[in-house]
Amino acid sequence: MTAPLPKTLTGDPAAPVALRAEGLGKAYGPITVLSDITLDIVAGEVHAIIGENGAGKSTLMKLLSAHVQPSLGHLSMAGQRVDFPDAVAAEEAGVVLVHQEILLAPDLTVAQNLYLGRELGGWLGVDDHRMDARTTEVLASIGAHCGPRDRVSDLPLAQRQLVQIARALLDDRKVVIFDEPTAVLANDEVAALLDVVRGLRDRGVAVLYISHRLDEVEALADRVTVLRDGRMIGTWAGHDLSQRQMAELMVGRELEMLYPPKRPPVTAAPILVVSDLEVDHGAVHAGLTLHPGEVLGIGGMIGSGRTELFEGLMGLRPAHAGRITMAGQDITRRSVRDWMAAGLVYLTEDRKGKGLLLDEPMARNLTLQALDNVHPGFVTKARNEMALLERSVAEYDIRVRSLGLEAGQLSGGNQQKLLLAKVMLVDPQVIIIDEPTRGIDIGNKSQIYDFIDSLVRAGKAVIVVSSELPELVGLSDRVLVMRMGRIVAELHGDRITEQNVVFAATSTEAGDQRETVANQTRQEEP
Amino acid sequence: MTLISRRALGLFSAASIMALSAGAALAQDKVTIAVSIPAATHGWTGGVVYHAEQAEKEIEAAFPNIDVIVKTSPSATAQVSALEDLSASQKLDALVILPFTSEELTGPVEQVKANGTFIAVVARGLTDPSIQDLYVAGDNIAVGANTAKWMAEKLGNEGKIVVLRGIPTVIDDERIQGFTDVMKGTNIEILDIQYANWNQDEAFKLMQDYLAKYPQIDAVWANDDDMLLGVLEAVKQSGRTDIKYALGGNGMKDVVKMVMDENPMTPVSTPYPPSMVKSAIYMVAGQFNGQAPMRGSFKLDAPLITPQNADQFWYPDSPF
Amino acid sequence: MTSATSTRATPEPGRRIRWADMGPFLALALVIVIGTLINSNFVSGTNIANVVTRSAFIAIIAVGATFVISSGCLDLSVGSMMAFVTGIMILTMNRLEPSMGANAILVGAAVGLVVGAACGLLNGLIVTLGKIEPFIVTLGTMGIFRALITWLSDGGSIPIARELRDPYRPVYFGNLFGVPLPVVITLIVVLAGAFILYRTKYGRRCMAAGSNSDVARFSGVSVAWVRTLAYVIQGLCVAIAAICYIPRLGAATPTTGALWELQVITAVVIGGTLLRGGKARIWGTVAGALILEVIANLMVMSNFVSEYLVAAVQGVIIILAMLAHRFIR
Repeated sequence: MTAPLPKTLTGDPAAPVALRAEGLGKAYGPITVLSDITLDIVAGEVHAIIGENGAGKSTLMKLLSAHVQPSLGHLSMAGQRVDFPDAVAAEEAGVVLVHQEILLAPDLTVAQNLYLGRELGGWLGVDDHRMDARTTEVLASIGAHCGPRDRVSDLPLAQRQLVQIARALLDDRKVVIFDEPTAVLANDEVAALLDVVRGLRDRGVAVLYISHRLDEVEALADRVTVLRDGRMIGTWAGHDLSQRQMAELMVGRELEMLYPPKRPPVTAAPILVVSDLEVDHGAVHAGLTLHPGEVLGIGGMIGSGRTELFEGLMGLRPAHAGRITMAGQDITRRSVRDWMAAGLVYLTEDRKGKGLLLDEPMARNLTLQALDNVHPGFVTKARNEMALLERSVAEYDIRVRSLGLEAGQLSGGNQQKLLLAKVMLVDPQVIIIDEPTRGIDIGNKSQIYDFIDSLVRAGKAVIVVSSELPELVGLSDRVLVMRMGRIVAELHGDRITEQNVVFAATSTEAGDQRETVANQTRQEEP
Repeated sequence: MTLISRRALGLFSAASIMALSAGAALAQDKVTIAVSIPAATHGWTGGVVYHAEQAEKEIEAAFPNIDVIVKTSPSATAQVSALEDLSASQKLDALVILPFTSEELTGPVEQVKANGTFIAVVARGLTDPSIQDLYVAGDNIAVGANTAKWMAEKLGNEGKIVVLRGIPTVIDDERIQGFTDVMKGTNIEILDIQYANWNQDEAFKLMQDYLAKYPQIDAVWANDDDMLLGVLEAVKQSGRTDIKYALGGNGMKDVVKMVMDENPMTPVSTPYPPSMVKSAIYMVAGQFNGQAPMRGSFKLDAPLITPQNADQFWYPDSPF
Repeated sequence: MTSATSTRATPEPGRRIRWADMGPFLALALVIVIGTLINSNFVSGTNIANVVTRSAFIAIIAVGATFVISSGCLDLSVGSMMAFVTGIMILTMNRLEPSMGANAILVGAAVGLVVGAACGLLNGLIVTLGKIEPFIVTLGTMGIFRALITWLSDGGSIPIARELRDPYRPVYFGNLFGVPLPVVITLIVVLAGAFILYRTKYGRRCMAAGSNSDVARFSGVSVAWVRTLAYVIQGLCVAIAAICYIPRLGAATPTTGALWELQVITAVVIGGTLLRGGKARIWGTVAGALILEVIANLMVMSNFVSEYLVAAVQGVIIILAMLAHRFIR
């Protein structure tokens, strides 16, 4: 840690609190996603909430805007406890959430969207004149350049975002909650949006601002509350914190505790060599080598072709391979069955859509991929399956109250472990894991990391595709970074840092980095 | 309305061929006769198609200047389209049509007539009878009534019977009406009337159910011979001996054969012969080649087919 | 039941009584009770035997349909396919009868099985290789098979040779230890179907493909192969139904099997199999087929319903059965 942390803010009795959370918490079944949040949202201030993915930011917002009901604690306004039965009640009380996704009817006009469900007019007709007038007024107040009669589908994305904000501001609001409003915007549009937020603050509105862009938070926030693993770490005055301090507060833990120690460099001959793989609408000219005993990380922005590359490699989407060899044998065939036979498996990132049969019991999911191994004959034997399931549940620490549960009834972490157990049943040599810990809690994460480590130490090879930079950096012995369907960088040892990955993934100059890696058999792009 | 028996019509047809052969040399203009009939989707319509195609072959062989075009359609809408296609592609001198439904086809046929085409309608009359120059039809009411009269007489005006009807249409209604009107004047009790869709399978099941439901059934009437075959199979399976008669209607060849063989349970049938379309085509050919004016309505009677006359209704080569 | 059966206490989900799964059987019981109250002849041995025997065709075909539907597809062509297979079988038997006598029946039946499997294979290959919606593919083949039987019969009927009628007749009208033969055959088909669906790897993959074809694909299951085979099984079931059907009326006509596809799908769905695939209930399917036949029987046996309204009452009962399904769980 660099500079000593400033003092946290505590309750200020003089501040005009618009909305107060007292001991707020939320649990889904046995899993607590948020606990003990106590915070004041003050009129005329921008209050930023920051935290890593999965820290509980979204849940907090939904609790504050009554889209979700708390399991613990309550809200109060003006010193009075309030219990909103639903989001509509919260809006009537002046608390509104501006969603991250754009939720507008594209074929309706701006004014029609603003008044959707609460049209002005008599018992039969609608009063377009009044609605247009008020729409124009609200749009002007946030600096939007569209008119009330414009069709939403004709507007650029930034204007749609403003329309969405205008819809939230149609009535006078006391508290406006923004959920990552700049996620879809370009830089100049961001600046305009920040002005809108400041305008609201100056009009005395209490603004709650959720973002993972720390520069925005630094520029905007009067107060900053940090969440980590579903708990509140503290609230600080915005001008007290540097971006670096915010980041440290968000991460908080000792990374070495979460990730297993790195392994010694590998010397074995490559087990998997892919060259010149073309995946339709995915990867261009991709090549990679993988050695037994190493974790190869694959980084890149969402949409850079990471998932497509490996789905193509596995024959799950149309692809044309130049040459694929495994353990020295040329096996340029493409079907999941062939690959399974060769000892290569792929764990999808889409656990619910492509990984597990959510309506089926755990045992059936466990054995689906390995039916031929589990049941050598024609017939399936339920007793074998239950025995296997008992073993896997113990081995992978899948925590369930009954072995008869359906896969869809498990928590995300347990689903991920079940999926892992499922592909391990075919006894693979190379395991490709796409987003190994997406949407699962910290305890399960660390178990999965340890498991990956033990696989590699046992001489298997693992490819980890991940959007979470700390995970990529913490796990990988080597990292390939993709951009626009191409592998553009390869990082080793000390060069594996979050900064280098991001740079390679986003910057067009990053291609140079590959030249620092001389000992690679990958084909160079022209 | 001229009422002539089927046999008389047959004689007439034979006579007309000879007359027409003589006239053929005189009129050398090409004459086109279009025939629009339902597609062969069950036994009776299968017979219609068979007889129409027979007529086409025979007439084209006898009169080289007559061109007969047979067009089948699976539904009323398809038949309307077929009419439009036929009249658009060539000049039709005559149209012989067995309409799917009277209501839907009346308009389109009127349009064809507007071009000067001679219109002959078979089996189902148009809503506006003035459109048709020639009308040849069987008598559905007589089919029901004649069967009922025979059955009532054999049962001595006493007993319990069950009835199987077909698909809800005018034909079905008329047959049932003719049958029940006669039965009202007797002491015969109609235990049940249910639809079996002119389908062997459904008639088999329905008859099984009748047999389970009613301990005493003296006779059965299925208003179509296809259904009768299902009925007979069900009766045979049950081993019941109380059923004295099981009658059908339409003159299907299998049933006519049973009548010829003096089957005790089915000794009679009533014709509603699909060959009426052939009669109509011959009459139209006569109109053009024999200077034998053929206008008006011809209603075929539904005389009982008995072992004595069955050979006249026996067409071993017809699919029906 | 007894202490001897107690083994290790592994939680087995199948042991609990699931009322939702019992739905079709409860509905069947209810319909039967109502039938008994309406007409005492309903429970007579003959009537029950008739109804159960009749439902054999729909039940056998519906077993095949359970495979197709649970694999995530649909087959609308079964009724027409049934008529077509029946026609081919009769023509084969009639052709062979002069030289082979009654053995022609066996050869004809074998030919029927081959033709049925081939028809199913055709459906399956168009669906999987052509990647066309099953609904549209089988709507097309439905028309093709129907037209072929109409053409083969000239729109009339194809009767079986008189000489074959008597030797063949017992297959529908005969019985084994007092159980009608078609019922015995249905039981064998159902047992085989249940075994394949619940106890084999193929059955497992079939349901996985229907439950979520992506998951199946990502797990190394060849979805196309699984579905094609389901259509072949459907074709075989149609052929078995045809073998039982011919001796009943001894003829194939263009109306043979008309609209059976709808009865089959209704039976499968009433039985608890999901129309979107992934969940199959073979015994429920049998209950579904019986429910349909019993309702039709009741409509005749009772005097409450006008002959004009029979179809409406049947429709209402089917919808009620499905609603009960939905709210019972």
